[in-house]
Amino acid sequence: MADNYVVEMLNITKVFPGIVANDNITLQLKRGEIHALLGENGAGKSTLMSVLFGLYQPEQGEIRIDGKRVEIRDPNDANTLHIGMVHQHFKLVECFTVLDNIILGVEPNKLGFLQKKEARKKVVALSEKYGLLVDPDALVEDITVGMQQRTEILKMLYRDNEILIFDEPTAVLTPQEIHELMQIMKSLAAEGKSILFITHKLNEIMEVCDRCSVLRKGKYIGTVDIAGTSKEELSRMMVGRDVKFAVDKAPAQPKETVLKVSGLTVPSKLHHNNAVKDVSFEVRRGEIVCIAGIDGNGQTEFVYALSGLEKASAGKIELCGRDISRSTIRQRAEAGMSHIPEDRHKHGLVLDFPLEDNLVLQRYMDPRFQKGGFIQREPIRAYAEDLIGRFDIRSGQGPVTPVRSMSGGNQQKAIIAREIDLNADLLIAVQPTRGLDVGAIEYIHSQIVGQRDLGKAVLLVSLELDEVMNLSDRILVMYEGEIVGELDPKTTTVEELGLYMAGAKRNKGKEASAS
Amino acid sequence: MKKDTARTLWNDGTKTVVASLLSILMGVIFGGVLLFVVALCLKMPLSSAWEGFRIVLGGVFNTGRNYDAGSALTFGINARLIGDMLFRATPLIMTGLSVALAYKTGLFNIGAPGQYLMGTAMSIIVALAIDTSVVPAFLVWILAFLAAIAAGALWGCIPGLFKAYLNVNEVITSIMTNWIAANLVTLLFDGSRFINNVDFGKTGYTLKTATNGVATAKLGLDFGGGNANAGFLIAIVFAAAAYIVINKTTFGYELRACGSNKNAARYAGMNEKRNIVLSMAIAGGLSAAGAALYFLQGDVEFYWHTSMALPATGFNGIPVALLASCSPIGCIFSGMFMAYLTISGSQLSTFTAYNEYIANIIIAVIVYLSAFTLFFKGLMSAKKKTITVKSEDAKSKAGEEMKRK
Repeated sequence: MADNYVVEMLNITKVFPGIVANDNITLQLKRGEIHALLGENGAGKSTLMSVLFGLYQPEQGEIRIDGKRVEIRDPNDANTLHIGMVHQHFKLVECFTVLDNIILGVEPNKLGFLQKKEARKKVVALSEKYGLLVDPDALVEDITVGMQQRTEILKMLYRDNEILIFDEPTAVLTPQEIHELMQIMKSLAAEGKSILFITHKLNEIMEVCDRCSVLRKGKYIGTVDIAGTSKEELSRMMVGRDVKFAVDKAPAQPKETVLKVSGLTVPSKLHHNNAVKDVSFEVRRGEIVCIAGIDGNGQTEFVYALSGLEKASAGKIELCGRDISRSTIRQRAEAGMSHIPEDRHKHGLVLDFPLEDNLVLQRYMDPRFQKGGFIQREPIRAYAEDLIGRFDIRSGQGPVTPVRSMSGGNQQKAIIAREIDLNADLLIAVQPTRGLDVGAIEYIHSQIVGQRDLGKAVLLVSLELDEVMNLSDRILVMYEGEIVGELDPKTTTVEELGLYMAGAKRNKGKEASAS
Repeated sequence: MKKDTARTLWNDGTKTVVASLLSILMGVIFGGVLLFVVALCLKMPLSSAWEGFRIVLGGVFNTGRNYDAGSALTFGINARLIGDMLFRATPLIMTGLSVALAYKTGLFNIGAPGQYLMGTAMSIIVALAIDTSVVPAFLVWILAFLAAIAAGALWGCIPGLFKAYLNVNEVITSIMTNWIAANLVTLLFDGSRFINNVDFGKTGYTLKTATNGVATAKLGLDFGGGNANAGFLIAIVFAAAAYIVINKTTFGYELRACGSNKNAARYAGMNEKRNIVLSMAIAGGLSAAGAALYFLQGDVEFYWHTSMALPATGFNGIPVALLASCSPIGCIFSGMFMAYLTISGSQLSTFTAYNEYIANIIIAVIVYLSAFTLFFKGLMSAKKKTITVKSEDAKSKAGEEMKRK
């Protein structure tokens, strides 16, 4: 049996000061299997993979490849052992062609001159063998995210990697692309490649994986055969308690309009056209309206224009009856807008500031927190302690923890605590659960529904289909900067939503009105 | 938990100080080696290099040579040199503060020399132009000081405005405003004969402000005949004020937020453009105030042919700030240290065959190494981690690890 394992990580323990990131973890990967690695944020998945990649040296335990004990000191060692990884954020050179990206670092050459012909042959052969459709001569910046991912996979295959690690590969894909990826993974496994699949998404595990290892808070919980388990059991293993998948919420009872957007047009920074084209809709008190769509269809620019981070070129935004189209960011906030930003590191937090300073990022000038321009430390600390308690924000040193050192989930909780506590009429939540585990997602969803039930208007912008379907009361689909459809989550299906998101269908906008 | 925090912060502070001291130590060692190399090359006795090294270390505590005892170097309290050190440190502390404050807002104020020059020109012109028989001298002093600050603030504003509204890098515009200031100042004094000192056929020098009765109060700091005066105390007050503004006020909070994450500051509704301009204006004002404190001492002549060279005191604000890790309070000490080395240099050329440039090279090496302060800090953290796995310092690393998950 033992000779069947390609990778064995036995009793790995990795300690960081104050935290045992991996506590006696064992992971065994069989040849030709798809093995899921499941765990909450901070459970130790990344640490374990970093150990396998040679980025960290474990304090205890050993790694065996094909039954032989190995020392992996750096990523180069990992490469020589044929371990490859597709990162969540692709490592591609945008202005290079697909082929150039694939051979990058292992360029075939004669006397220093590139020999691309053979490389091309090999790439084409590989892509045909595994059904990885790519155009070798297309520039990476011009191709879809799905094709970029296939390029990444080809990069691993080109290097003859046998052990493939996929780090949350589906986060950026459409349902159709996810389906294709699943097929590709299956065919890779059928060819004898061994796959480690890191994900939060239980549906995907159930679909493709053979076995699943679960980590929780740095500890190894167990490995189960997927055939003999269920989603519920997996999530229980991961979180340590029962998790509700469906969001608990009563039907929406929309009241008066809070946000009214009419004819909003936003120019694109990258291209000469408009990123957002003539968008109009309303959000009312007591409802969650979701803007769904594939990443890069104008959602980001739309939210920037709404929050005042960018200027719109045309259109009107009314908040509680006030025209805020020309208002500054602070005026908008004062008019009743709170905003959970898409990028928590870029906009949401000042990472070098302590937690308490981040929690008052918009309110430091409140009379509560300053007197005559002098910051009042005591009330800020008390306020921070209060939010930390109410929203269960976990950190090493409480209010004075540098935010940079907190886990992603808790950073997000801090933002959500701050924005919800602004008690604004409109809550804009952009990708509020990106990269978070089911436990945290459940919590954040319940908070958002809670806001709705308190009579706030919620505008959700999400790329996650589950989130769109579960959380929203109305769905607006954005495609190439336009609202192409309005759907009712109760009567629509994920497949139909996918068609709208891909631009194959529309029931609103120019074409629909023309027909 | 609170105790824990205090320890981490203390450790971090200690590490910064130790890293700076390490830079200084390595700079001094390098200077010593250099002295010996120079001695070997010029076939001078090695003992002279040793003497030079002792002077570099001894600095303001050098009391000359005892010619009755074989010309041995003597050391002790040298009140005059200590006073001179405080006097020379005064403008350095101010330009250091200028660079440090801008840096907190994410701006690199390489424009300190230009701002310093504008401050110099304005303080001298006002101090000499207003007749002290009409207006009391102390009032003229204050007016000159304020005029200098205004001129510097204006000069600092320009790169700030370009940065904020046109997104032009402040380094480029600052370098340009530096040279504009240099030429402008020459132009100003070239055309105004009444403030030029033409005694003994001198050209290019202004009159001392004391000729109009304007001079900074000594407050008893002129011990040993040194040049120190109340200006040093004013610099300390400014440093303390800068510390308070940066760390204790909402304005400082905004400045730090802008410097640390411009996007988040904008997202939170702060006016980051205004903050950039203000930060540069304040930085300019601080540099110019440093110039005023130096020249209003009363007994200094300003050589105004600046069109060819910018004042080193302005540029030295950068190393002063770096050595202090941009802490306003730290600037007081790093400014004094730089002045100490300058004095070492002049002692070196007075008492040995070596010239003051050796001291300048030591300063340069220290400056160079002070940029490695972070590197040294990292090194110290790594060392501790191997000793005790559960050390406090590497916590940040674990934090980053957590973040990635």
